[in-house]
Amino acid sequence: MSTFGKIIFWVITLFVLFIIVAPLAWIYLTAFKAPNDIFTTDVKKLVFFKFTSENFQRLFREFPFWPNFVNTIIISAASTVVVLVISALAAYSFARWNTGRGHLLFTTISTRMFPGVVAAIPFFVLYRNLGLLDTRFGLTLLHIYFNTSFATFLLYGFFKEIPEELEQAAMIDGYSRVDIFRKIVMPLVRPGLAVTAVFCLVWSWNEFLFSFLFTRVTARPVTVLISSFWGSIEVQYGPMAAGAAIVILPTLVIAWFMQRYIIRGLTFGAVKG
Amino acid sequence: MANVRLENVVKMYGKKTAVRGVSFACQEGEFFSILGPTGAGKTTILKMIAGIESITSGKIYFNERVVNELPPQERNVSMAFETYNLYPHMSVYENVAFPLRAPRWKMKLTPEEERKRVEEITGFLGIDKLLDRLPQNLSGGQKQRVSLARALVRRAEVYLLDEPIAHLDAKLKFSTQTLLKEFAQKYGSTIIYVTHDFREALALSDRMIVLRRGMVEQEGTPEEIYYSPKTDFVGRLVGDPPMNFIDGVLTTKGGKTVFQKDDFTLVLQGELLKRAESAGIEREGTNLIRLGIRPEHVRLHTERISENSFQLPIYAIIHENESSVVTFRLKDVFLYVRTTGFCKYQKSERVWLDFDPKWMFFYRKTVEISQEGSSEK
Repeated sequence: MSTFGKIIFWVITLFVLFIIVAPLAWIYLTAFKAPNDIFTTDVKKLVFFKFTSENFQRLFREFPFWPNFVNTIIISAASTVVVLVISALAAYSFARWNTGRGHLLFTTISTRMFPGVVAAIPFFVLYRNLGLLDTRFGLTLLHIYFNTSFATFLLYGFFKEIPEELEQAAMIDGYSRVDIFRKIVMPLVRPGLAVTAVFCLVWSWNEFLFSFLFTRVTARPVTVLISSFWGSIEVQYGPMAAGAAIVILPTLVIAWFMQRYIIRGLTFGAVKG
Repeated sequence: MANVRLENVVKMYGKKTAVRGVSFACQEGEFFSILGPTGAGKTTILKMIAGIESITSGKIYFNERVVNELPPQERNVSMAFETYNLYPHMSVYENVAFPLRAPRWKMKLTPEEERKRVEEITGFLGIDKLLDRLPQNLSGGQKQRVSLARALVRRAEVYLLDEPIAHLDAKLKFSTQTLLKEFAQKYGSTIIYVTHDFREALALSDRMIVLRRGMVEQEGTPEEIYYSPKTDFVGRLVGDPPMNFIDGVLTTKGGKTVFQKDDFTLVLQGELLKRAESAGIEREGTNLIRLGIRPEHVRLHTERISENSFQLPIYAIIHENESSVVTFRLKDVFLYVRTTGFCKYQKSERVWLDFDPKWMFFYRKTVEISQEGSSEK
């Protein structure tokens, strides 16, 4: 690469990096700032300021951060587990037996092709009649509904990668379909399951629209709480940043540890060993 | 152990027919080979016997019991795939032990017994040093032997081996052939062996079939297949150099029936004439006929020894260990002649050739032979 090329490369890299890192940095810096430092016009104070944990204290003391955070954990974990079970079986069936000759798979995926809001109104009416509004169960169900299609689609590709002959070999070796699924298919599709689980978990963790529309108090996830800091009268930047700082932490950690897996998972078909 | 019988078995993939009415019977304890070029349907037949490929029509019998609808788990067969199909997440040991652990066989081996069985077969095949490795860390030849070990570790009714030694180097190929033969005799196993290499089929089989485009071209012992090929296809597929073919016509000359190709003629008498006439040549008004003779059945002499001797200059000589292959050119075809011992002739020398009448065959032409002498593959 020429010197000019290198310069261009680094300029673009730094620019992209800035776009990704700047909001995160802003959140974490703001979370530890006193109100005065947040609103100051002093550029130096953007980075150099007096550390305070006041925002976090306020978050736990004045707002239902903790119960909402637990809601998020329960809803996203429960929906992810259920989604994985359903879509692993569905995807295996689509991949191995071509169940529904592609139409069923397409129908499953098509639930993701319209904007979520379109589904919101009928779902709302249904939920009101069933008494599922503002329940963790109800929101979990919605997350399962939306994630299953995507997870099935993703896992379908992973199952497709497993050669059918491998399963035939196991049949000849004397194993039943169930045993083959457990002993041959599952271990081989594990990276795919991990990637799918992460995607479902992150989506559910960050989900806002349905959480906002379908919950009020008891089942409210933390994303909705954070948005409530943006009131009509004032914006409470401190607690908002503090809440966000905590909420995005697990996602950041997962992304850090799983990045190798995720990249490999997404290019699974492209680079066959 | 079981005998296996196929009755008019047909396999179609959509509108494409892969196997067109194949019938054969493999006796209990027999080493039975299926020989054929790529795409002849060998693997498909094996998979249908194993039960992992459905049968479009026809019947497959195990011990005179129809098994068409039986799933592979209930057929008690064992198979080595050409593509190995080792379980990538299991070590070599686990791969080989996998069939022993299947609940269906109710073997319930103790870990010691299991290890003994695995070590016996892997030691037999020379892969006992690789037991802890994962398949991805093995060479092609090693993978192939692991796959073979997995197929042989369990006592099955029938062993189905699909090109089990195709990817081994020459030395290993030979020793593994010996091992296979030993295995077959030791356990009296029924083995159905698929290969494209006629040497393996001839060396190992008790009986074999030659397959062409999904049909049985000939069934017989290796000796019958080699020494009396029924069609020019079999003659061309089996043997190296392959059977020599000369395409000519039957005519009468001076009251005698002769085989003629341009100015090359052979007088046909007695048994030979009968053979030529029964070759079924009267087709579309022509009397085109193909003469076939194996390279070792052509004799070379310095002088004329019979009425049918003819003289040609030597085109090339290839010396091999125990014999030499002398090539001649007769018009547009090469004639290969195998002589035992060291060839005493020189290139371009004119020598007399004499076809052994006992080993001359006449065929209808069914295979195109190109200038280079290569046959349909």
